[in-house]
Amino acid sequence: MSVVEPDRYVEVVDASKIYRSGTAAAVEAVSSVSFTVPRGQFIAVLGPSGCGKSTLLMMVAGLEALTAGRIAVGGEVIRGPRTSIGIMFQDATLLPWKSALDNVLFPIRVLKRPLDQYRDAARQLLERVGLDGFMHKKPHELSGGMRQRVAICRALVYDPELLLMDEPFSALDAITRDEMNELLLDMWQQYTRTALFVTHSIREAVFLADRVLVMTRRPATIVEDLAIPFARPRSMAIGDSPEFNAICGHLRQRIEASHHGAAGRRSSGAARAAVGELAA
Amino acid sequence: MQLSGSWRHDRRLSGGPADCDRAGKLAHGAFGKRPAAGSKTGRARPGLLPAATGAALLRLWQQAVAGLRIPAVILPPPTDILAELWRVLPVLLQQAVPTTLDSVAAFVAATLLGVTLAIAISYSRFLRDMLYPNLVLLQLIPKVALAPLFVVWLGISGQSRIAFATFIAFFPIVISAAVGFANIDPSALRLCRSLSATEAQCFAMVRFPFALPAIFSGMKIAMTMAIIGVIIGEFISSNAGLGYYILYASSRMETAAIFAALSLLCAIGVALFGAVALAEQLVRRSYGRQ
Repeated sequence: MSVVEPDRYVEVVDASKIYRSGTAAAVEAVSSVSFTVPRGQFIAVLGPSGCGKSTLLMMVAGLEALTAGRIAVGGEVIRGPRTSIGIMFQDATLLPWKSALDNVLFPIRVLKRPLDQYRDAARQLLERVGLDGFMHKKPHELSGGMRQRVAICRALVYDPELLLMDEPFSALDAITRDEMNELLLDMWQQYTRTALFVTHSIREAVFLADRVLVMTRRPATIVEDLAIPFARPRSMAIGDSPEFNAICGHLRQRIEASHHGAAGRRSSGAARAAVGELAA
Repeated sequence: MQLSGSWRHDRRLSGGPADCDRAGKLAHGAFGKRPAAGSKTGRARPGLLPAATGAALLRLWQQAVAGLRIPAVILPPPTDILAELWRVLPVLLQQAVPTTLDSVAAFVAATLLGVTLAIAISYSRFLRDMLYPNLVLLQLIPKVALAPLFVVWLGISGQSRIAFATFIAFFPIVISAAVGFANIDPSALRLCRSLSATEAQCFAMVRFPFALPAIFSGMKIAMTMAIIGVIIGEFISSNAGLGYYILYASSRMETAAIFAALSLLCAIGVALFGAVALAEQLVRRSYGRQ
């Protein structure tokens, strides 16, 4: 293990991703993005859909190769998936034939670690997310929110140092989503991991993160790196404060300013909707 | 009887607690038992109604044969068939042995070949592009017409009949299994990759169990196809087996004996199909438990 400066736990340097498929024009999904994340910080990457933020996350996860640039986690350059990283996807991705508990233990099986040592940890995680009575239920017996709770537990059970989340709650209804955000913060505080959270919801990003990185389309790059000043532990109530609204407004302007044409109008509409939600 | 099984897949059912109710209803399958929760008739209906319908049709048959004075050589009444079945049962059971064994052998061979080829297709884009369209095309031709060719190639031996039955049972399995392996949830594979799983782990823990329902639905069709193949083989070239017996009885105008052999054939078909369905239950349960 190399010695790493604590403020550069995740280091992304000029990372680019260009998709070339056959004769079609090359698509630049991520264009020369650079940022660093100190150990233990919660980062939200905020941007409209299709801006390449998921691609960026997948590159940090080692699931997508970089076209140019360099990404290092804990001082080691990412060349493929690694077990010090836990991932949550947009859908819960539970195996339909396994119970909630067995789904949480799935990474342990894959990593060939002793199951008996982790069974209690898995149970405790499920209890923490309020699924005490659902450990032996199959995914089709759980609601959408419950399934994502199982997915949180699965991402945490093997003690990853870095937690990557790709719009994990975007398929949930607004009320469940708020619940899940509070739960996620609670879990994160408990297990203190470095976290990278991709979202297209301004409100979600501001509520969750220590820092919000704003990513835009054309160029597919980061245009703002904003520290969020709210103290932890946070409750949903901070969403009503004028300061929260001001930050959301500022982020919305940044997203709008960097967009032109139809795509920009659509995303600003989404941003306006998000701010409207706050006012209500 | 549900041919197109699938894991009660969670992708179709997303959303809040209201969905739990919907999931419960969907879980009953395509032939859902609809109404009357709690009422006695409602609960007994799935078994009782088809049985009663069958009995009524048999009774109608019995009365029609008597009422219209249909000669027994054309259509014997069910009671005559039952009597004949009882009389020739020892012979029939003897003849059923080669038919059953050949069918099972053909089914096993078709399953091994079909699943193996489907796995190969799922891993190689080249193989898939090369073979899959041709498999679908072959599936569409009436393969029964090829039975005499197998006699030309392999003679009138038992192997010839098993080979032909394997041939027609193979297609539903390979196509169904190939579809099963192709429709694996891509995010489940991505999850595997993110955990640095080996390809063998990925196959055993995700790909194969995901494809299982499709494989089994192909196997159920293949089981019936294997029996059809063996019977046709026996029609063409055999001196034993239920197919041979039916042909023999037909040449002597023993219509009741034909129906008796058909009844036994039905029973064998149901038993073999049931065995596959049971195997599916056991295999699925074993995956759920691990």
